[in-house]
Amino acid sequence: MTEYLVVKFPKPRKVLLNGVPKGNTNELLPLEAGKYTVSLEPPPDFKPPAQDIDLGNTSAEHPQEVVFN
Amino acid sequence: MTTRKSKTLIIILLLLLIHVVACAQYPLNQQSDAPFDKQAGYRFEHLKPGPYKKTDNLFICLAFSGGGTRAAALAYGVMQELRRTRIRVDGEEKSLLDEVDVISSVSGGSFTAAYYGSFGERLFTDFRTKFLERNIQGALLARVLNPVNLARVASPWFGRIDLAAELYDREIFEGATFAQLEKNGRPFVILNATNLGPGRRFEFTQEYFDAMGSRLDQYPVARAVAASSAFPFLLTPLSLKNYPLAKGYEPPWWYAGAEEPKDWFTRRYDAAKNLDFYKDKKNGYVHLMDGGLADNIGVRALLDAYAHGFIQQKILDGDIKRLVFIVVNARTEGEDRLSAKARPPGIITVAEKTATTAMDNYSFESVAQLRSELYSRVQAQMDITAANRRLARYCPGAPKFAEPQMVDMYVVEVNFKAVEFIGEDPRYYLDLPTTFCLSKEQIEKLVTIGPKLLNASPQYRCLLKVLQAEAEGWPRPKDCPAGAGIMGN
Repeated sequence: MTEYLVVKFPKPRKVLLNGVPKGNTNELLPLEAGKYTVSLEPPPDFKPPAQDIDLGNTSAEHPQEVVFN
Repeated sequence: MTTRKSKTLIIILLLLLIHVVACAQYPLNQQSDAPFDKQAGYRFEHLKPGPYKKTDNLFICLAFSGGGTRAAALAYGVMQELRRTRIRVDGEEKSLLDEVDVISSVSGGSFTAAYYGSFGERLFTDFRTKFLERNIQGALLARVLNPVNLARVASPWFGRIDLAAELYDREIFEGATFAQLEKNGRPFVILNATNLGPGRRFEFTQEYFDAMGSRLDQYPVARAVAASSAFPFLLTPLSLKNYPLAKGYEPPWWYAGAEEPKDWFTRRYDAAKNLDFYKDKKNGYVHLMDGGLADNIGVRALLDAYAHGFIQQKILDGDIKRLVFIVVNARTEGEDRLSAKARPPGIITVAEKTATTAMDNYSFESVAQLRSELYSRVQAQMDITAANRRLARYCPGAPKFAEPQMVDMYVVEVNFKAVEFIGEDPRYYLDLPTTFCLSKEQIEKLVTIGPKLLNASPQYRCLLKVLQAEAEGWPRPKDCPAGAGIMGN
């Protein structure tokens, strides 16, 4: 069961899932379902610093979106 | 005087026997003596690309099934063919075998995989004489019947599996440890066994040994192969010690948040529960048997690596453009003589069917799941690409759908069932026994049929066509669209 996540941020940046780099911002990230802590690689010019998500019930056309400003 | 001498001799012999039994103890895996280091040890992320300048662009994984010497010989034949097949990647000519990054193996297939991991090209010069064409069963039996070894196996701390491991270590693997595999670089060889306690798959990788507070580098490859091929009842389990965790241990990245009760049915939850077994130090020992009990095809380790491990990482990093799985399945299938009879089968037939039917069905489902997961990804890629193309054409100002890293995927299966499709009689192969003693003629036929089956696979033919087209700068062949590498065309 693949779920889909898109982490939105104005700049290209590595996405951190549970603290580990896993793909890039604004890309479709196929992942296993469940809970993750999402953040971005430094510089820490984004808000909020991290977001907890529960990934599920998505499709490639309707991914779960997490936005950083 | 003579009687006294005889009695003394008997006492000395008895004392020697007691000494031999008391000293017989299986070698333990080493405890980690340094703080946890997730960059050290035998793990994919840490391995050098190997001697052939492998590119991640083309990422090839092999899975070798169980099936004794039959499986080892079929895998060997396929590897020979991959070695003969020339390709050009990134402007450099090499063999397909040079591009193999991972081999996951079970039981008989583990001999071929571990030998290649330990000695590389030597596989093609001496593996046939050192293993395939040898009567390994006879050699094992001779060791068991040796009076000294009879005394050793009388010890509860030393079993027939330890004798087998000694034989493999001395006569096949020449004392190789996982440090040698690590030094050789890719392919990353995953030797799979079954942990009898929880009844789950176990792999000889540093990630598993991390959770056991142990280091794999000094562990003999022969013992891992022995565990992977420890056929129930004929051989005894092989045991490892589960030590306290090394200072600073960190579980894999996917572990945090994986054990939500609502997610109890997911593979990620299941993988976390598997890891918990080793983290729970009440489980002081790990008793291993044939990997075929948990996965007789070697595909599950690759599925885990694809779902949340090193293959997923390489895809998300954009390193893999073409992902190839070649599954070498030496499964046999006795002719159905039951269904024509009115009389129900006897207890021996029922016992045999009970032992093999579930395993065979599980192997089939594992490959089917691999196909299904990869195909659903390819479909998602095609859907998103098509939708964005239409948006660009009919609604140029609209925001596009986010695209994933695009990966071209292939699942090739070498299976005796396909022998009939190349105009040969499959019965010869489907009736071969599972044993560590086959005739030279049987070995030759197995080594020969592997390449024929590989080249007959539509998915494999597509792979070769696409690689050639790419090397020549031609467009992708029309008869090999995306997805044809998984489901055929």
